[in-house]
Amino acid sequence: MGAVVRRNIPQIIVTIIILLMVIFYFFYISSEVRTAFNTWDKALTDWVVVITAMAAIVGGVDILRYHVNQSRKKEPKQVFFSGIVMIMEVIMVAFAVIALSSGISIPTQQNFQWLYTYIYAPSDAAMYSILIFYIASASYRAFRVRNPPALLLLVVAILVMLGNTSLGELLWSGLLPIRDWIMTVPNTAAFRPITMGLGFGIIILGLRLLLGKETTWMGRRE
Amino acid sequence: MDIIYSKAGVVPFALLVFLMLAGYYFMRKAKGGKPIPVRKIAAFDAIEEGVARSVEMGRPVHFTLGYGPLSTSMAPQYLAGLGVLNHVARLCGKYGANLVSTLGVPELIAAEEEVIRDAYYSAGKPELYNVTYNVRYLTDQQFAYASAVQATIQRENAGTNIMVGPFWAESLIFVEAGAASGAFQVAGTARETQIPFFVLAADYSFIGEEIFAAGAMASGDNVTLASIRGQDIGKLLSWVLIVVGLVLLPLGIKLATYLVM
Repeated sequence: MGAVVRRNIPQIIVTIIILLMVIFYFFYISSEVRTAFNTWDKALTDWVVVITAMAAIVGGVDILRYHVNQSRKKEPKQVFFSGIVMIMEVIMVAFAVIALSSGISIPTQQNFQWLYTYIYAPSDAAMYSILIFYIASASYRAFRVRNPPALLLLVVAILVMLGNTSLGELLWSGLLPIRDWIMTVPNTAAFRPITMGLGFGIIILGLRLLLGKETTWMGRRE
Repeated sequence: MDIIYSKAGVVPFALLVFLMLAGYYFMRKAKGGKPIPVRKIAAFDAIEEGVARSVEMGRPVHFTLGYGPLSTSMAPQYLAGLGVLNHVARLCGKYGANLVSTLGVPELIAAEEEVIRDAYYSAGKPELYNVTYNVRYLTDQQFAYASAVQATIQRENAGTNIMVGPFWAESLIFVEAGAASGAFQVAGTARETQIPFFVLAADYSFIGEEIFAAGAMASGDNVTLASIRGQDIGKLLSWVLIVVGLVLLPLGIKLATYLVM
């Protein structure tokens, strides 16, 4: 029974879905079948929304469980951090309950909007901004000239970076066309085989899923 | 009933069937006992080195597979990530390493728990499995997830940092956090714009479709592994089509227009 629930049923669902997706992407069987498929498709999409919402609740419980456990360890730094996370989570749930009991949607509730505008958005923007320092430190390590390809990389990077700045235009007007050529010719030529390879990789992954040979996502107890 | 006809083109369908048959052919051949040589992927082999290194240093292995909803076109990459996680968890079980797996995909919490638990049990180390420690769901918001993963890598002092899945702007944050804590890093994504960051900053990287091949390698099954040859046939076919297209172009024939018929 365990193997049927853990292995066979998920595999049957995956195989049926793959076959249906391929058939209805490439063929019109008939308008009636098409309409029926659209109805199933809509139902499946609704299920996805429900599953995602339930998964988000599981995620919330998972976060709470982790931080409750961490708090018990009584490490000063961790207790402080876990305390903040737990308080924030409780506040979010409280605001959601208040909003729902008042008959208004959660995202439009005033307290929620305050949290979003004054805490979430600035924190998010700050994290994104920090990227510039990471780009600088990664570039420093990447552009050290250790061999001829690294030298080529450095030269190309300088040309593209200068081509992207007003300083580059000021130094030499020819930098902009060079940057455009690098981005549209060698860069595109390098990316396209990767994109094609991705397609082949996904097709073969689909084949393995279809045949029940890709089972690592279900775990593998032996 | 209406006549059956192709909506997305006969040629793309024929190519899809051809590639699937090619993969199936090699799988059948391997099933018959004939060894199918499959190319090595350096990043895949490096995972074992990383796990062993972590054990020697007494530091945990960190794994992350990305954030966001599962029901998008990124789903195959999450699946590939789970395949690699399976391999990593089995190695952690084999060498007795602690594994911290962070994720931002709420739908995959249960799958990750199961994959890691099964791996530790299979390796005969059930005592190493601690769900709260091993699987950490963080959030499905991009930069909140980025900062949480970065904090986890640094607080846990990860000896090895493995990242396989779809990544966006947070990719560089992760590899730099790993570099700052002196972690051995293996990274892979099929998102073209992030591949250069991983290639430059990680010790080993899976480039594009290699993350899907890694899933087959992780299975340890020769039949599954042989399917990778189907990918290689696809690459060979694309080379042939490119050359034929280049030859026909001066004659005024655009091959691309026939390939979408």
